[in-house]
Amino acid sequence: MTAPLFELQDLFQDRLLTGRADIEAHLTSGGPFLKVYDHAYVARLLEVMGEDFPAVHTLLGDDAFAEAASAYVRGHPSRARSVRWLGAGFRNWLGDTVPWSDLPVVADMAAFEWGLGLAFDAPDADALGVAALAAVPPEAWPILTFDFHPALNTAALRHDVAPFQQAMARNQDPDAAPEEFADGSQTWAFWRDGGTCQVRYRALARDEAVGFALLWDGGDFQALCEILAEVSDEDAAALHAAGYLRGWIEAGWITGLSAPGLSWA
Amino acid sequence: MTLCQDPFQGFGLGLRPQHFPDILGPDGDEDLGRVDWFEIISENFMAVGGMPLRNLMAVRERRPMAMHGVSLSIGAPDPLDDDYLKKLKSLADLIDPAVVSDHLCWTGAHGVNLHDLLPLPLTEETLNHVAARVGRVQDALGRRIALENASTYVTFTSDTMDEWDFLAELTRRADCDLLLDINNVYVSAFNHGFDAADYLAGIPKDRVRQIHLAGHEHNGDHIVDTHDAPVAEPVWDLYRAAVARFGAVPTMIERDANIPPFADLVEELGAARRLAAEALGEAAA
Repeated sequence: MTAPLFELQDLFQDRLLTGRADIEAHLTSGGPFLKVYDHAYVARLLEVMGEDFPAVHTLLGDDAFAEAASAYVRGHPSRARSVRWLGAGFRNWLGDTVPWSDLPVVADMAAFEWGLGLAFDAPDADALGVAALAAVPPEAWPILTFDFHPALNTAALRHDVAPFQQAMARNQDPDAAPEEFADGSQTWAFWRDGGTCQVRYRALARDEAVGFALLWDGGDFQALCEILAEVSDEDAAALHAAGYLRGWIEAGWITGLSAPGLSWA
Repeated sequence: MTLCQDPFQGFGLGLRPQHFPDILGPDGDEDLGRVDWFEIISENFMAVGGMPLRNLMAVRERRPMAMHGVSLSIGAPDPLDDDYLKKLKSLADLIDPAVVSDHLCWTGAHGVNLHDLLPLPLTEETLNHVAARVGRVQDALGRRIALENASTYVTFTSDTMDEWDFLAELTRRADCDLLLDINNVYVSAFNHGFDAADYLAGIPKDRVRQIHLAGHEHNGDHIVDTHDAPVAEPVWDLYRAAVARFGAVPTMIERDANIPPFADLVEELGAARRLAAEALGEAAA
């Protein structure tokens, strides 16, 4: 039996994604070693998931992790050129899919590990120093917007997963399962130290998280001041905003400043 | 930053993150001195920064490099991915590799990447398809590429030619090079029952730009290319025959699982060096 190349490839892909046997009729002797491809497809992807989510693996245990990761990769065929991005949707999938959604700490751990990974190998960019703020002309401040370092990313977490993950990273046994934050979810930031390339992370204060999200979405400094005035002390909002901004600059989070229609050295 | 200008020759290793401390650390000089070049997996360094990029460039300052991809998907039905090619070219521009290679295979269709090196039917239709795409890739990169023979576990009823004839004709039509994986020749020969010597004899001498060696898993009725073990004895024998035919082609060992200490791989590479010297001596005598 002969078939055009693309038709054979469709049948081969169907086999790996759904187990359909139609390709066998086009293989010599029915393809007795087709099982090598069957096995390699999921085995390779599970290996990658294990490497990217070791703390999720530990939290769930071998069997449950294999079950979760298998269901995820079966349901989400990779569309990226690098297997690096295979787990990009794992956090949301865990959070949305029964029974894993009944254990929200697992999705939080996946988000934490993914955030660390993004910070680790995102492209480089030159971060601004504090001196860049001093050079901003007064008329630019209200409409000032910000570019952020590619390594910087955030995640909202309901559990304090960092001690568990960090113990694992030090090859120590985590003392206890992560605890739920008493006051609801917290926004955590992950970034990379420009000098050492070491990955950093911390929880943002509640008003800091609100203000940061606004700038991240393209909001300007005036809007930052206004939103901080709503959630904290109105009179001190500008000072408060400047304080946060300085901290973000010092951490290397910001790579560019701009104001529509204005330019400065 | 100055890239190492040593010639691309001799014996190399696949660059793996586990070995960065050995290669770049203060005690790495002795073992590093026995590795002439490194090969990277291209996708691992495309559009990345931070420590991976810093380590990559530190190694590149010390040694020549080859780039080896796994997702070009040269035989796929989908159009070539311009974004992928752009990133591949950016990386090549950055590290100035001696060789840019990928595999004679396809990795998925309709936008899906199965992350495996899947077999192609060896037909005139496939040859036309792949040759045209190699030409477009080479135009996009501004350089010749080398394609590697992948290990295969099935053949198609529609096959009309042997793999070595397919590759030989491909190099002529597309004006590309070959990365000859000796382990893969052995694995496919065993799985499909052809003579590995016929394979070597059918590969044009002047197109083999680089050689791979690796370990495999023997399962009785078939062999799987696992890259998780030392190079097997029959593969060393085949390598000897390859050196006799193709001469002193830059050769490396690939290890992707059960990765041993750097010194152990360097030691294994020494075996390749000795065996190649013997084979070249015998060929010259």
